[in-house]
Parts: sequence; structure tokens; C-alpha cells
Amino acid sequence: MSLVTIGIADLKVSNNPEDTLVTYSLGSCIGLAVYDPVAKVGGLLHYMLPDSSINQEKAAKNPAMFANKGIPLLFKQCYKLGADKKRMIIKVAGGSQIMDAAGTFNIGKRNYAILRKMFWKNNVMIDGEDIGGNCNRTMYMQLDDGKINLKISKKGMVEL
Amino acid sequence: MNLMEEIIAAVDEMPPFPQVVHRAMQVIAIPEYEVSNLVEILKVDQAVTANILKLCNSAYFGLPRKVSSLKEAVVYLGSDQLKQLLLSGAASKIYEKPSEGYAVFADELWRHALATAVMSQVLRRHLRLKIDENMVFTAALLHDVGKVVLSSFVSDRYIAIESMVESGDYSFQEAEKDVLGFDHAEIGGKIAESWDFPPSIVAAITFHHEPARSPKEFRLLTELVALANNLAVMVGYGTGVDGLACRGHGLLLQKLKLEEKDVEELILLFQMEMEKTCDIAGVSER
Ligand SMILES: [Fe+2]
Ligand SMILES: [Fe+2]
Repeated sequence: MSLVTIGIADLKVSNNPEDTLVTYSLGSCIGLAVYDPVAKVGGLLHYMLPDSSINQEKAAKNPAMFANKGIPLLFKQCYKLGADKKRMIIKVAGGSQIMDAAGTFNIGKRNYAILRKMFWKNNVMIDGEDIGGNCNRTMYMQLDDGKINLKISKKGMVEL
Repeated sequence: MNLMEEIIAAVDEMPPFPQVVHRAMQVIAIPEYEVSNLVEILKVDQAVTANILKLCNSAYFGLPRKVSSLKEAVVYLGSDQLKQLLLSGAASKIYEKPSEGYAVFADELWRHALATAVMSQVLRRHLRLKIDENMVFTAALLHDVGKVVLSSFVSDRYIAIESMVESGDYSFQEAEKDVLGFDHAEIGGKIAESWDFPPSIVAAITFHHEPARSPKEFRLLTELVALANNLAVMVGYGTGVDGLACRGHGLLLQKLKLEEKDVEELILLFQMEMEKTCDIAGVSER
């Protein structure tokens, strides 16, 4: 088994059943895991910000930093390895908040909102999610069966 | 001894902040300082000298030939790189002590401290805050140093802290204060004091979770560190034990009338800077 790390603002796909993809410390960021159980192709994206319009030039270099660029790219790369949109199982984690009544630090909420909007427009259903709160999450995907495990601060391991 | 006395004793036993770094920073602060004066100070410390040469010869700079003289390396790196290297070299040693109570990954505290320092630099620069760069970097780098000491004392009380945080009504720092009678910020301030840091840095560390309590003359620095800490934790450079259980201090953002898009852009700039810094410092971003 080999552990493949997806950094912050990063994405990776694989069709090697020996691989486990992992992304650490999702706070306000979102971890999006997609898996085709027939082709046994999966991918994991860890994005930081909702929309690349804030800086197109830098977005071109770091598409995985943004929901609007990273999400389509994740799907495309899975298709290249033979995944089919109709079979994809979609799981989402992250979007936490710090304790802030004023709502100044609401990027987690907005990161999640844009994903919902994009999925709704493209008829994509979410099969499992663990969103919000003020915890920290680490997300694992096993490539042999697509199983998603979450390590949640103060809670421990759960399967999503 | 009661717990507070025990901890004060532990603070006294902390290794001192390296004198060579303190002295080098004083020289660098002089406009048009003599490079040879700086080299005199640095060469006394073999580890520091080795680090400077290592950085200078790292793949990051891709120099065509090997630099082997300290003086040449100092000139090549320039004062900004050098300051950051010296401060972060000292801080990494302090944070990377294994900690039991706050059972975090060995380098988790250090990565968080570095991220907070990078974030505070990005904020200072892009918000054009009139505040000394070194002071900001140092305060941000050391803001959670109290956790290093506190960690070995919480042991059985840790469960109580954790369950208060889990209830959702308390931040990690508030739970610490409730259970122990004091928090890591306060202890951090005492450590900085024992290291002879100026009152501005002591105040920023002591009040980084309650910036409104910081003395007026140090308020801006404290608010900046508090905000940088918030943003670093938020985007994933926090630590596992406290998660995102910290109170938001967005006052500075409101004062400067920053909007959502501005904050997003700051985070973008931070991430690019952080990747570069991790590269140079040899820290895994994870
Ligand atoms: Fe703190
Ligand atoms: Fe912190």
C-alpha cells in the first residue's frame, strides 16, 4: 500500500488499487473525493477558495486552489483514466468555521455553497458529506473499494 | 508547589533564546550595517553558520557554484532572508520539542507558528500597516510558545479541557483558563519576558487570544497576530488538538473595511508565500 498525499490547494487521481489518497487538516477548505467503482478510478481535491475571479493569472497556475477551477479539473482527470460520470460516487468533507459570531471568517461556508451550486447545475448528487463545525478533518480514500475515512479532531476515525 | 509555581519553574528552565540571534538582529537593524560585524557575531555559532551556508547552497537558489564563505553567503542572502532564517531557525528548535499532553504531531506546532508568521507578513505588507517587520515576524513566530511548556503539565487535566471544547461553547484557550486557571498565551508571555523580548512582543503573545486586553500602544501588533493566527488556523495550518476552536478577531479587517474578496486574495497570497517558505525552510506542508 502506498500513501499518496494531496497538499493544500492540490489534487491527485489514481487507478492503482494499492493506493490510499490522503489530504490532511481540512479547516475551511473542502476535500472532494470522487470514485468510479467499476473503473476503480478515484481522485481527491483539496481546495481553499471558492472563486478564481480574484486573481485569474495566479489561478491559471494553481487551479486546485479554487472550487470553480479545481472541481472540473478533478472530474476531467478521472475521465481520462476511464471513469464515467454516471457511476461516480461523490463525498465531501471540510468547510469548518472558527468561532466567530460576526461572520467575518465564513470562507468555509462559501467554499461549500459554491460546490452545491456547481453540482446542482450539473446534476451531480452528493453521496456522503461531513461539513462545518469547528473541527479539523483528514480525509482518506482507498482506491481498491473507494472507501472514505475521516479523521476528525476530538472525535477520531469515522467512515463517510 | 502549586501548578502555577511548577510552570513558572519550568519557564525558568527553558533553554535561553539564542544570544547570537538577538545580537545579529540588533546589527541588522542598523541601516547600512557593516557585514563584517555581522559575520563576527554569526561565526561564533557553528549551527547557525552551517544553516546559512546550507540555505545559500540549496537547490532553491540554484547558484552556479558552491558558496563556502560565511561572508559571501551573508551578502548573497541579504538582510531580509537572513533575519527570517535566524528567527525561524531558533523558533523551530523550540517548537520541535516532543510534546506529550497536547499530543500533536512533532512538527505541527512549528508549522502552525511558521504559517502564522508568514500570514502576518502578508497582512502587514498588503494592508500597509505601519509596524516593524521584525517585530511582527518574531511575535507571530513565538505566539504559541506557551504550548510547548504547558503541554507537559496538562496530562490528566487534558480530558477536562477537551470536553469543555467539545461542548462547543468554549474556545480551546478559554477551556485552558477555566481548567488550569491560566492559558498558553499567558505562559508564552512569561517565556518571552524571560528571554528579554521587548514589551510589545510580550504583549502580542500574552493577548493573542484577547487582543482587546492588550495595552493601547501594542494593540495594533496584537490584533495583527490574533488575525494572522485566526486565518492560519482557518485555512488548515492549525493543530489537531484545538481544531478550529478559537474565537475570531476580525476587528482589523473591519477597521480596514476589507471585504470577502480582499480576504480571499490575502489567503491566495499567503498560500503562495507559504509554499515558498516551506520549500526554503525544508518544512513539509503536509
Ligand atoms: Fe494560541
Ligand atoms: Fe496559534
